Amino acid sequence: MKETIKNTTLADRLLFLLLISLSIAGIFISRDALSQGSDVIIEINGKPSYTLPLYSDRLLSVSGPHGNTLIETKGGKVRVKEAHCRNQICVKEGWISKGVIVCLPNKLVIIVGGSKKDQQQGIDAITG
Amino acid sequence: MKKYKAYLLPFLLLCMLLSSCSANRLSAYKKSKALLDTFVTITVVAASQDMADKAIEDAFDIIEKFGDLVNFYSDKSELSAINRNAGIREVRVSPETLDIIEKALFVSEKSGGAFDPTIGPEIKLWDFLKKVKPSDAEIRKNLPLVNYKNIIIDRTKSTVFLSRRNMLLDLGGIAKGFAADLAVQSLKQKGISSGLVAVAGDIKAFGLKPDKKPWIVGIKNPRQKSNDDEIIARVPLSDKAISTSGDYERYFIMDGKRFHHLLIPKSGYPANTCQSVSVIADQGVMTDAFSTAFFVLGPERGLGLAKEMGMDVMIIDSKGALHTTPGLQGKLTIERNH
Repeated sequence: MKETIKNTTLADRLLFLLLISLSIAGIFISRDALSQGSDVIIEINGKPSYTLPLYSDRLLSVSGPHGNTLIETKGGKVRVKEAHCRNQICVKEGWISKGVIVCLPNKLVIIVGGSKKDQQQGIDAITG
Repeated sequence: MKKYKAYLLPFLLLCMLLSSCSANRLSAYKKSKALLDTFVTITVVAASQDMADKAIEDAFDIIEKFGDLVNFYSDKSELSAINRNAGIREVRVSPETLDIIEKALFVSEKSGGAFDPTIGPEIKLWDFLKKVKPSDAEIRKNLPLVNYKNIIIDRTKSTVFLSRRNMLLDLGGIAKGFAADLAVQSLKQKGISSGLVAVAGDIKAFGLKPDKKPWIVGIKNPRQKSNDDEIIARVPLSDKAISTSGDYERYFIMDGKRFHHLLIPKSGYPANTCQSVSVIADQGVMTDAFSTAFFVLGPERGLGLAKEMGMDVMIIDSKGALHTTPGLQGKLTIERNH
């Protein structure tokens, strides 16, 4: 082993260091690149509580201060199908394929990913 | 000596790599919270996570307290008290509530009533999810209740009075921008010199990002067909606010016609000459309200008033054509797929 190290040149060592740095950087770069925001994240009381694939047909019932809220994913979209809050703002949002649905009475936030993609595009926020 | 020299360069490189990860450099920290019936995201540039967290949480608290004052749906809000007492008596309100109503009246005056915070009685006739379109008679019946001139403010007594019974003040078209202003003011008071507050699509930026570049805001494509064309344009933003009003947020299509929530206060029907209007100005409260006003006024009159007010505007008209004020030339980047 010592013999092998002795036989290396400065250029070899530099190359070795560079390769190690690149492989470490690669771990972080690929982690970001693979996340395409195709998940639905459900936060309750500000804490991520469930993650659903957006491209699947699912129904999820989540309990809250105003009873159960029924969340549905279908064909790349998500909606609040049923809720027992007073103003039904969350239900009235209808289907979304990107963005956020909020139900304040039930302290529920449904987020459809995509922020990683926005960062890759160099965008810090979206208006509209 | 030569042997040691061979190790010196890699060692120095490693030191440089490690020092670049030092915790004391300025970095951007981001947090989100459900407030004002929407999603608020605050990004700040700070020296540490602790400093960022404290400043962001304080800004969230300010937005929450303000939201409690002007919540249209809460019986406990000052706004609900004003609406309950319409045509009955004046209601004493906090300085923030008085301030936002005064600003709403300013935009109403400037836009000749294209923005009108008393649009509530018309809005409540529509249900955009269930595709409920009110009859012409119902719309006509509520029209006399829509008139910002019937909001009576007494600054010395800090009171607000709606002079007709059944009037409804709805600050939904201005509150988010106002909240972004309040949040930025709070962050600055906490020593933050750069950040971005996004109250849904009402965004206010201050200072520069850690890479010394302005913040970049994407403008949503009003006729998005896939995930690849969500953004129609992007614009750099620093020490400015931006808001967008569009006909794609709450709408339904009936008999081939689009019915959406941006109603013309004088007719009670949706304005149909624009798909979206984005406004850039110093204050979020102004961009929020004027984006609705310009949408209702339409491309020609909207651009004219924007120039008069010294605001930058991007309008996508009903045919999909893009119009901007001269101030946006050279700043706006149109996405390739448009």
